[in-house]
Amino acid sequence: MNQISPGAFLAPAVDWLNANFHPFFALVTRVIEAVLGGIEAMLLVLPPVGLIVLVAGAAFFAAGLRIAVLSACCLGFCWLTGLWTASMQTLAVVVVSVAIAVAIAFPLGIWAARRASVEAALRPILDVMQTVPPWVYLIPAVMIFSLGRVPAIIATIVYGIPPMLRLTTLAFKGVPTDLKELGQAIGAKPRTILWKIEFPAAKPTLLVGLNQCILLSLAMVVLAGLVGAGGLGAEVTRGLTRMEMGLGLRAGLAIVAIALLLDRLSQGALDRQRRA
Amino acid sequence: MENFVTAFDMAVDDALFWLTDHAAFIFDGIRALLEGLYDGILWLLMLAPFHVVSVLAGLIAWRVMKSPGAGIATVLAMVFCWWMGLWAETMSTLALVVAASVIALAISLPLGVLAGLMPRLDRALAPVLDLIQTMPPYIYLLPAIALLGYGPATALIATVIVAMPPAVRLTALGIRRTPTEFIELGHATGVTPAQMFLKIRLPFAVPSIMAGVNQSLMMAFGMVVIAGIVGSGGLGETIFSAIRTLDIAKSIDAAIAIVVLTMVLDRVTQSLARAK
Repeated sequence: MNQISPGAFLAPAVDWLNANFHPFFALVTRVIEAVLGGIEAMLLVLPPVGLIVLVAGAAFFAAGLRIAVLSACCLGFCWLTGLWTASMQTLAVVVVSVAIAVAIAFPLGIWAARRASVEAALRPILDVMQTVPPWVYLIPAVMIFSLGRVPAIIATIVYGIPPMLRLTTLAFKGVPTDLKELGQAIGAKPRTILWKIEFPAAKPTLLVGLNQCILLSLAMVVLAGLVGAGGLGAEVTRGLTRMEMGLGLRAGLAIVAIALLLDRLSQGALDRQRRA
Repeated sequence: MENFVTAFDMAVDDALFWLTDHAAFIFDGIRALLEGLYDGILWLLMLAPFHVVSVLAGLIAWRVMKSPGAGIATVLAMVFCWWMGLWAETMSTLALVVAASVIALAISLPLGVLAGLMPRLDRALAPVLDLIQTMPPYIYLLPAIALLGYGPATALIATVIVAMPPAVRLTALGIRRTPTEFIELGHATGVTPAQMFLKIRLPFAVPSIMAGVNQSLMMAFGMVVIAGIVGSGGLGETIFSAIRTLDIAKSIDAAIAIVVLTMVLDRVTQSLARAK
């Protein structure tokens, strides 16, 4: 059979990139590893009990007593299953990738809300990004950054951007015009209007976007355990491939605990916003 | 803590041994049933040579989207998958998606209708659906592989779980959203409950239900690709083994085939939702 293989054309291009831009990719790798190492060290510097108390306290002030108890239980469970370090690694990767994804998606989303042409240009790209299965994102990341945590973070960032971008655009388009006009009428600077009028009005929708972004990122980070990203995903993969079901189940439940923690925390903050 | 971990692992292993000793026939039955369905669909898809299947797919796309361009694009997309030498893998991925979606819809459409008619059931289902959607899809493979072992049956079970929530939710939403005037009109003209459901509630719900079908199908697709790790066969497994052997060209080819297939399925089902 006469076959074609686009991959066979692209593979040399990847090799060329790896050969000629190696210093650049190495730099990106080192920066990400350094930031990640720092956050991981921060999460692991306290004894587990200390961190649990700290998170529960923060949750109490951000979202109330119920969420505080829930987060203490979730983290306590991660500790109890003997997967504390792996859980913190996963959490660190999620935190770093969500922060970067938001830093990219937030300004782009505002821009798209201001200009219809930008939104029209972005929409088909976002459509494609959201229909493609998450697995596919790992492939280019692995090809360029090989195995490890860096491709996991890159793929997670790319995967987390679309929901945040969409909801940012939606949030800023939903700001009532009279509020903006009020700002212009009293002679506020565009920057002041953005931060003092539009941002507070858009906040509930923005928090929904953040919640989505966090959950999708967690799903991706867990999946990235397949490409050697470490953390709980790696434990699940180990359980799956070596048939160590006890380990796999413990890691799976710890992931559920982390997912619940992140979801309820961000939703609790949202509910408090709505009530205020 | 150490004690807890070992005790947990022992308990899980014991429970699994007990299940495989005493309830093997149940799991063998489920496995045989699922694999039978998958094999049947795959047999149908592989019955005709690739050009017949491609043209059929193109005709369906043309009829559904009402544009000859879409039909031609679909034919080209399918031929492209064949040309890359991935026809068998593409068809087995498609068979997995179809089998999983059929099972998921057979469960979730009636469930969604019931939830739409009974607010109490809806309230009981909400936390369960929330939990299913909060957890990273990857971990559903764990219990499935423990009970059913490697192979397409495991992939199918995990995919069905992931694909159900959106269909249940959107079906219930569609049923609940029937305009009150029409329900009152029904009461006034004295229709039977069955007529009320078939002639008044269902037609209003169809767009929402079709949106649910589209979402389910896309979730199923994402999961089927991930399930390559448990030996589901198809494009997911091609990518998984290509990444492990660092065969960049092959993994790019398979990724392109996945993206192409996703696009076709998504566009066809989306316009099905819009056409009604």
